[in-house]
Amino acid sequence: MSLIELIDKRTVKVPLEAKDKQGVLRELVDLLALATDKVSDPEALYQAVLDREALGSTGLSEGIAVPHGKTNAVKNVCLALGVAPDGIEFDTADGKPSRLFFLIAASTDKAGPHIAALADIARLAQSSALINALVRARDASELIAILQGD
Amino acid sequence: MTKPVERIMVYLDGSEGSILAMRLAVVFADFSGAELYALSIVNTRALSDLVQSHIFLEAEREEYRRELSEDGARYLNHAVEMGRRKGVSVQSLNFSGSIAAGIKEKVGELGIDLLVMGPPPRIRSRRDAMFDELESAMRTVDCSVLIARNEERIEKLYREL
Repeated sequence: MSLIELIDKRTVKVPLEAKDKQGVLRELVDLLALATDKVSDPEALYQAVLDREALGSTGLSEGIAVPHGKTNAVKNVCLALGVAPDGIEFDTADGKPSRLFFLIAASTDKAGPHIAALADIARLAQSSALINALVRARDASELIAILQGD
Repeated sequence: MTKPVERIMVYLDGSEGSILAMRLAVVFADFSGAELYALSIVNTRALSDLVQSHIFLEAEREEYRRELSEDGARYLNHAVEMGRRKGVSVQSLNFSGSIAAGIKEKVGELGIDLLVMGPPPRIRSRRDAMFDELESAMRTVDCSVLIARNEERIEKLYREL
């Protein structure tokens, strides 16, 4: 399942309101839970994402973070995407703040689609030009158009 | 006279498309007397990419590899059962690596002459077109490729076997 197949305008937020790491995770989980019917237990999903972060930050270099969690509190695989143009401290590999957040949640029996979506983000993360374009998007529609045009 | 199709293979990833392809392949195998193979792939290439990009920890790589392997075994059991119900023998195949490489390697190794696949996912970005592994396998594999479409008709064919 490719990244673009998971993109849903209702779960893309530009800009994010949160100002810290936990706030971003909470905002993205709530976005998924409120905008879709894919999350049966937002607290369980939030905890799964926090548990994963506790093992090691999913903040990569180039301003991208890919928090993810596996829980039966979600149906199939789902994604929330947010942009924080000013950056948020996320314990990243290069010490720089993160600006683009892909939160991916998957049920425990969906390893294949979960990995396919994450692999797509890993490839996207290699393009600084694309990341910069996404961070500059003024709203969700523009961000989705950039991803589709890439 | 050489039979037009002697060995058929289906790649299974648990998607509805791959199940549809399996049903059509069972119908073809019954009709043609061809040997039928079902292939499951643990995409260790993607897992390595995720560790390299720091999205996954080493511990996650192992956890997901195990889960992919278990999922694959389940898909293969289901495929064998689908064949058994219609009196068609299905041989299970496993591979670890990239999906495109696995399909191509097994086609060459076994002399597969027909690969049956589910409908490819709709391409919605240029990146999809460049990196979709099934798309890549379909374009480059050294045998004929049959795309299973028209679910209603295939279900009917399978049911009537």
